[in-house]
Amino acid sequence: MITFTSFPKSKDSFSYTAAKFSAVDGNDMDVDVYGDDYGEDFDSGTKLTYPGESITSSYDYMRGHGTFIDQGNVISSVAGTIERVNKLVSVRAIRTRYNPEVGDLIVGRITEVQPRRWKVDANSRQDAVLMLSSINLPGGVQRRKLESDELQMRQFFEGGDLLVAEVQAFFADGAMSLHTRSLTYGKLRNGQLVCVPPILIRRLKSHFVSLPCNVDLILGLNGYIWVSKHIDQNRQPGEEGLDAESVYSNQNEAIDAPTRMAVSRVTNLIKVLASHFVPLSDVILLEAYEWAVENDVEVKDLTQPDICEGLIATVGTKG
Amino acid sequence: MGEGTRPSSPWEGCVTGIEVVSSSYHQTPPFPLSKYEKTYIQAALRELSPIRADGRSLFDYRSTALETGVASLANGSARVNIGKTAGEESGSGAEVIAAVKLEVEDVLEGEGVDGGRIVFTVSCSPAAYPHLSSTALDDLSYDTTIILNQCLSHPSLHPKNLTISPRRKSWSLNLDIMVLSDSGNVYDALFLAARSALWDAKVPKTRSVQYQPKSNILGDQDVEMSADGSGSIFNTREVAKAADFELADWWDEGEPLRVNREWPVCVTLNLVPAKSLLMYFADVTPHEEASMPLRLLLLFSFSPSGTRLRSMRLMGDGEVQLESMTLLLEGGENHAKKLFEALGKKLEEEDLRRNQKAQVKFDLR
Repeated sequence: MITFTSFPKSKDSFSYTAAKFSAVDGNDMDVDVYGDDYGEDFDSGTKLTYPGESITSSYDYMRGHGTFIDQGNVISSVAGTIERVNKLVSVRAIRTRYNPEVGDLIVGRITEVQPRRWKVDANSRQDAVLMLSSINLPGGVQRRKLESDELQMRQFFEGGDLLVAEVQAFFADGAMSLHTRSLTYGKLRNGQLVCVPPILIRRLKSHFVSLPCNVDLILGLNGYIWVSKHIDQNRQPGEEGLDAESVYSNQNEAIDAPTRMAVSRVTNLIKVLASHFVPLSDVILLEAYEWAVENDVEVKDLTQPDICEGLIATVGTKG
Repeated sequence: MGEGTRPSSPWEGCVTGIEVVSSSYHQTPPFPLSKYEKTYIQAALRELSPIRADGRSLFDYRSTALETGVASLANGSARVNIGKTAGEESGSGAEVIAAVKLEVEDVLEGEGVDGGRIVFTVSCSPAAYPHLSSTALDDLSYDTTIILNQCLSHPSLHPKNLTISPRRKSWSLNLDIMVLSDSGNVYDALFLAARSALWDAKVPKTRSVQYQPKSNILGDQDVEMSADGSGSIFNTREVAKAADFELADWWDEGEPLRVNREWPVCVTLNLVPAKSLLMYFADVTPHEEASMPLRLLLLFSFSPSGTRLRSMRLMGDGEVQLESMTLLLEGGENHAKKLFEALGKKLEEEDLRRNQKAQVKFDLR
């Protein structure tokens, strides 16, 4: 029922678990490419900076995002990991809004319907834009948009709807433009949303993850994760069957109780992992799910502190 | 609203223990939910064995943390958090902090009321509702204040020891509540915090002082005037009346508010829209809150003299049959009783903890 606990001592809240996981930096590909050619006078990617920390000399390096110059030094303005491309030094903040890049897969929520476009909340600094011309219109991929489509935009997406999309380009003001012109993108149904800090989502080969417990996951790079019932690939609508009914329907399918439990379990696991700052990937999630099933943990008990610790300890050692 | 000239804010000096709440990636209510998210949640609750998004059963509360004595300058204070995720530093859960501050008021000249008065103020922090404009936030704070006022300012709940000297001076009790973050079920947290802070509140002990003109010296007129300024020095009829008060120099902070400790607790019952059967559940997450059309606030107080329904309020745009109200009240009473008992136990533990802490501090001197 209800039991009251005490607040943790304030010093406990500073015991940051991030240090355990050196893989905090999501894309270590573009770091250290030229690592050995230049005299290394600072670490990149391994250590967390604190705001105000002097990183390097401004005479040798250029300042990037998250840094400023003071008295000939490049100084970090945020807590985060150092990234360097040639002479450009930037700091990627740990807690920040999502910084979009072209080609990223994101999960977003429609906030507004505007003439010929939707505004989408994607955990970024500005709302993203989804143009009517960059969605799959019913009746075939190649169909031109008509005036009637403009009038019935709410048949496709309305305020509050969740969708998975790809970042297509940027506008002049930095807002991102999305597109859903693929059969794998579009409206999300049959599940629930979890929000985690965007830095925890690592770039994967595929962000559509299927767990063996009949659960599908979409790991949006903006930190929104869609957890839903597994949909068989064969049953996905083909190009001919692309009608407004199936793609833009607002009806959930029938979902049985075990699947609902599995969805809840995965949701709780993601929350626990995110609260301990573990970067999420399909491997780690699968491992965590297996651990929860092996140890026969009830879904609601997953958020209890001692069980969290157990989970983090197991997943942390292997991962 | 009890703003105005406040001598010192009760929040002063309570920096310890309050973290900066940042809700950067927590979606906060009332964000729009899509139709199919709502139906997903509702359908899961209508299953034979209802399933909630986080696996809890219908009346499980999320982990609830409570602490009293968080504001050192207040006469009583409490902090409540419902639903903090373990390991997460800040910004999760519905967090509410409440403080009681007593002020001396003059009944004759000031705005004081004989027997003391209570002023409730709820302020919602912009960090808790980042999507709201400042006017909307003011409205929300005002609405919540009204609810608190209507529920707690009943004469039967008025503390009897707020008088300092009858018809002259009285205490004005200011209960300030701050909503630091909201992730569902904020009303339960609000009333838990209010009850805890009022339980924790101590009224300073006072002693009346009066002037006694020395009558044995002829022609001596006491040049001091009585502190309230009402009595003239030539007025000799009311010499025996207490004119002012002083704080009794006592090791204890004072005595608790004398209301038989009947401050109520609140349970919010969220009604699942269903055609035939009546279904409700407690302690909602923001997603659940957004998909339930109707909720019922029930405030119960339990004392040896009996159980009392202090207040009830139906919120939302759904409707409920009159026949089902009895069932709801019975169910609500059961759950409120459990909540009340658990809270009482926790409050006693907190008293014990703080007494021990005070003892250790005293021994160190």
